[in-house]
Amino acid sequence: MTTWEGLLYGIGFALQPAVLIYCVIGVVLGTFVGVLPGIGAMAAISLLLPITYYITPEAALIMLAGVYYGAQYGGSVASILMRLPGTPQSAVTSLDGYPLARQGRAGVALFTAMASSFAGSMIGIAVLVTLAGWLSHAATAFGAADYAAMMILGLVAASTIGSSSPAKGFAMVVLGLLLGCVGTDVNSGVQRFTFGRTELLDGINLVALAMGLFGVAEVIANVRDPDRQGVTGKIGGRQLLPRRDDLKRLPGPMLRGSALGSFFGALPGTGSTLSSFLAYALERRVSRRPERFGEGAIEGVSAPESANNAAAISAFVPTLTLGIPGDPIMALMLGALVIHGVQPGPMMLEARPEMFWGLVASFGIGNLLLLVLNLPLIGIWVAMLRIPFRWLYPAILIFLCLGVYSVRGLSFDILAVAAIGLAGYLLALARFSPALLLLGFVLGPLIETNLRRALLIGRGDPMIFLDRPIAAGFVLATVGLLALSLVQAWRRRRAR
Amino acid sequence: MTLRMTRRSALACAVALTALPTAAAAEDAWPAAPLHVYVGFPAGSSPDTLTRIVTEPLAQRLGQPVVVENKPGAGGVIGIQQMLANAGDGLSFATTINGPLTTAARLMKSTGYDVATDIAPVTLIATSPLVLAVSAGSDFTDVESFVAAAGTEPEFLSYGSVGQGSGAHLTAELFADAAGVSLLHIPFTSYAEVTTSIVGGEIDAGFMAPSAALPQVEAGRMRMLGITSAKPFPQAPDVPVLAGRAGLSDDFRAELWNAFIAPAGTDPAIIARLNTEIGAILADPEVQQKLLAIGWQAAPGTPGDLADRIAADTAMWGAVIDRVVAKP
Repeated sequence: MTTWEGLLYGIGFALQPAVLIYCVIGVVLGTFVGVLPGIGAMAAISLLLPITYYITPEAALIMLAGVYYGAQYGGSVASILMRLPGTPQSAVTSLDGYPLARQGRAGVALFTAMASSFAGSMIGIAVLVTLAGWLSHAATAFGAADYAAMMILGLVAASTIGSSSPAKGFAMVVLGLLLGCVGTDVNSGVQRFTFGRTELLDGINLVALAMGLFGVAEVIANVRDPDRQGVTGKIGGRQLLPRRDDLKRLPGPMLRGSALGSFFGALPGTGSTLSSFLAYALERRVSRRPERFGEGAIEGVSAPESANNAAAISAFVPTLTLGIPGDPIMALMLGALVIHGVQPGPMMLEARPEMFWGLVASFGIGNLLLLVLNLPLIGIWVAMLRIPFRWLYPAILIFLCLGVYSVRGLSFDILAVAAIGLAGYLLALARFSPALLLLGFVLGPLIETNLRRALLIGRGDPMIFLDRPIAAGFVLATVGLLALSLVQAWRRRRAR
Repeated sequence: MTLRMTRRSALACAVALTALPTAAAAEDAWPAAPLHVYVGFPAGSSPDTLTRIVTEPLAQRLGQPVVVENKPGAGGVIGIQQMLANAGDGLSFATTINGPLTTAARLMKSTGYDVATDIAPVTLIATSPLVLAVSAGSDFTDVESFVAAAGTEPEFLSYGSVGQGSGAHLTAELFADAAGVSLLHIPFTSYAEVTTSIVGGEIDAGFMAPSAALPQVEAGRMRMLGITSAKPFPQAPDVPVLAGRAGLSDDFRAELWNAFIAPAGTDPAIIARLNTEIGAILADPEVQQKLLAIGWQAAPGTPGDLADRIAADTAMWGAVIDRVVAKP
């Protein structure tokens, strides 16, 4: 089957009423669980799993996939309106989305997020269809040394975003790296900073950390300072719609974000998080007025949203072409297929073309549905800001606890979110950026594990980072970036 | 004290009264409410799917819903902790892989429970061997050539596992010790990562769950050199058993398993009933087929069999852990 034949066949397959209905259910459910802070695609897919026993494997996969990418749309809503990101990806979106909402431009921010999500997904689909073979090759070509070098580049490139002072940003990255050390060390099996608690053996719960640092901290800040409550500008009417100069600024970030997302998403692991941060960092670097970032720059919403949606699509590349799930949610979806007796693996494309092409076509249909569903919802979401804070914030705290509890079902995590929230408030008072803490927290353990794994594989020889072309490329880029930053800092100092 | 006695006897009266119409069937009164089966792994994972395959018919047989409670974490230990936290209601049980019952106590500072005194075995559900897998492009075509190459110098060949102290890690070390070679251990966190690393040529081999390796073998990217079960495994019947080859003894065997357990102190009648029902469920060829599709071979037995298996494996893996894993 050629690509075009496959696509046409897939569109026909996915438009069958018995299949389409599950696509609709998936994306609608995905949007709503995405909006609820902390309750992610993982919880929703776990709940849907028993239902999938009663439908065809193709419909099941299309529905679960719909939840997966649909949640990416919803995820930006809470982080823009209330600074409640459930994932590190949407934490990046809140950096500029939330200031926009404060200025009464929540509608514009949401519109930007939706349009960028759609653009990211569509570009992701195009990449999936045309470059799947090449990307799946890249996924196996990447070894431990390459991952370590790539993530160090990511850390260096993104380590100053969302922070007024480089020193404070650096401090937060390091704190994140340290918090990432909690739990069982993959390489030695040694338990670090667990204080004898089994709940900490797998590390600090990421959702609890994100919810505490952003959500709880924000609620405390608002309670303490009533002037912060509510938005400064007028809500509704014209304010909902993007201005012409807003629209003109979008295509660049969309394209760059989608390109980064499509590539990094295909790498098993943390491609999606990395691409969101990198997309944001790249926009700030190419911008003529980087000082606007963090104050409500529309590019700061568009780029990470394009990136994480493109990544959500290209994350299916290793899953579908290699049978290797890139993240736990993908593993869960493959588990659903196994129950149906479908063995996911490299042969799936040949053995069940209707599944592959049907799924790819459903991505396109599902994203169109999401756009149509979400654009009218913007008005409703924005109206939520009119709810008096004495009603809104208790409700937020309840939803937040539900979200955190849904991850592992342990009450320990609820106590953790309260403690982290308090710490997050103190950090916010001192103007430290929690986004960078999350970046360090997510990348730290991966860098450490891959760095040490690479050294193990190289039998202790650090040249493994220069012998492998991919790793050497990233090391070179990191050195170049550091040199560039130093030169710029030096010039600035001389100009003064 | 008096008050408590009075309350208790009042309760007994109430129970007796409600049970009066069916007094003869008093023993059948259990279960009077839904059962909760704790699983220390996330929904959709292999231990979770196995549990659901068993609990669905179990619910029909007991006439009560069986709720699967996923409490993932700490290699399955949290699932058992959660069962024990709810012990005493006669309705809380767990399924678990072998790790939390055999190796966890040695690998972790504290699991919060003592298998000997806190756990009542119900029955073994199923076992799973591991296969020794290499990349299809590798020079090794059988376990003999693999061991011969490994013997040229210590840690000449590397293998991936799903973590320090995991079944894949300990099995590989048991194998290496039996074959008289030393292999370089590279820990990963999932078979997906191990697969990528083997196929990408970064590491030489890995002991893997058959269901993780089979799709790659069918696609021509991997080769299986041997299997750790005593007899050929029905899911991969062509893979030769390792026992008796490449210097390994004839009784070389290493299997992961999954068992149904109850909190200690559970009424023996309840344990006997569950053992019978699960035994009957596992005798159903359709159930066996479903289990095999996800890499498990049904292996029911008595509670005593399971207790013996726990004791034997705790000793066997304990010796391996003492040799190769750092103290917690």
